[in-house]
Amino acid sequence: MTQFIESIVAFFEVAIKFAPKFLPAVGLTLQLSVLSILLGTLFGLLVTLLKLTRLKLLESITNVYISIVRGTPLLLQLYFIYFGLPKLGLEFDSFTSAVIGLAFHSGAYISEIFRGAINAVHYGQEEAGKAIGLNRFQIFYYIILPQAVKQAIPALGNQFIIAVKDSSLASVITITETMLIARQFVAATYNPFPILFVAGCYYYIIITLLSAVLRRVERRLQVNER
Amino acid sequence: MNDKVVLKISNLHKYFGELEVLKGVNLEVYEGEVISIIGGSGSGKSTLLRCINGLERKNEGDIIYEGEAVKRDFTKLRERIGMVFQHFYLFPHRKIIDNITLGPRVVKRTEKEEANQQAYKLLEKVGLADKSDVYPAMLSGGQKQRVAIARALAMNPDIMLFDEPTSALDPELVGEVLLVIQQLAKEGMTMLIVTHEMGFAREVSDRVIFVNNGQIAEMGTPEEIFENPKDEDLKRFIQSIY
Repeated sequence: MTQFIESIVAFFEVAIKFAPKFLPAVGLTLQLSVLSILLGTLFGLLVTLLKLTRLKLLESITNVYISIVRGTPLLLQLYFIYFGLPKLGLEFDSFTSAVIGLAFHSGAYISEIFRGAINAVHYGQEEAGKAIGLNRFQIFYYIILPQAVKQAIPALGNQFIIAVKDSSLASVITITETMLIARQFVAATYNPFPILFVAGCYYYIIITLLSAVLRRVERRLQVNER
Repeated sequence: MNDKVVLKISNLHKYFGELEVLKGVNLEVYEGEVISIIGGSGSGKSTLLRCINGLERKNEGDIIYEGEAVKRDFTKLRERIGMVFQHFYLFPHRKIIDNITLGPRVVKRTEKEEANQQAYKLLEKVGLADKSDVYPAMLSGGQKQRVAIARALAMNPDIMLFDEPTSALDPELVGEVLLVIQQLAKEGMTMLIVTHEMGFAREVSDRVIFVNNGQIAEMGTPEEIFENPKDEDLKRFIQSIY
């Protein structure tokens, strides 16, 4: 029994000792997440808009993009950007590569989320907009988009959470974010459990906070429903 | 009503795939005139209305507004022709006042203050002055439809189209909407109304059109249509209703 308690105490001693050492890496995780979410959303919206132009060429380009991103692992995409593109003369530092890769990746999923949400807005809304003399662009901006964003929030939230976790893959292209630093600490101490526990806690906290923000946004936007 | 033709529909054809829904409709609408369009379900009466402002693309024929045939772009025409839908289609994310001012502010670039003043007046007119700051979800069907009418009127249209404005309403809410439309008729608004409210059509219309099988089968004053129908299908239609 005493041994059990001692091992728990030892566990938390290591955890508490290492927790502050994670902070710079957690900072990187946050930066990667925020940038990939913001750029990914912008990118996703852009792709959706290109699709909505109904121009065949633009539509096929976006379709190819989405199918490539969805059809290959993110890990491979990151390798390709960081190790592959320099061979073609396009060189980025590791952080930029990671941001590009992550944003490109979430952008594809986010554009599909937007597309679904836009399609879900009742066609009568468009007709009502037409009937008061709005043009296509005005209908999209004033009527469809606000309703679609609202519909998209739950699915977007999911995607944002995935983006936070996906940022851990940036460790494979030498970015010392939370998961890579954890591995380094494990290698140094041969004590994986408390260290992975700390890493898990950080992710959990980030995602819990993010979820809370998303819930708030969702509730805010629902004001007009009843 | 006077003898100026504001809108002329000439040889209008509309297909949905293979199906010919409108088979050459001709109609002249005079300024200040109220026309009710009646007919069975699937007769093409709603399609006729929707072709006028281009919500359905006509396949053949012309929509001639104030002497000018509308080419491809109906956006300009829609500023002059208001429309009210069976299911209201209010914008759920905008307050009532913002539903009404959207058109004037975006299309006509009216100043916010001016647009709001006009919207308050319209809300008063449809009896909903106290609802300006709520969202559509807070309103009953009849109230929503009255807001939809106010929203269309905010563009100062020359003509109003009503596509079964009371068909989605609970019976006890029909009256309040019809009252507003009746008021508009008294003010001399030119209107085309697709409706199943025969009593109302009879009372408010200058002319009644019976659409059957994609064509105007009979057209006349309410008395002619309801009391002395000639078309066999119209006779049956009227019998089935009374």
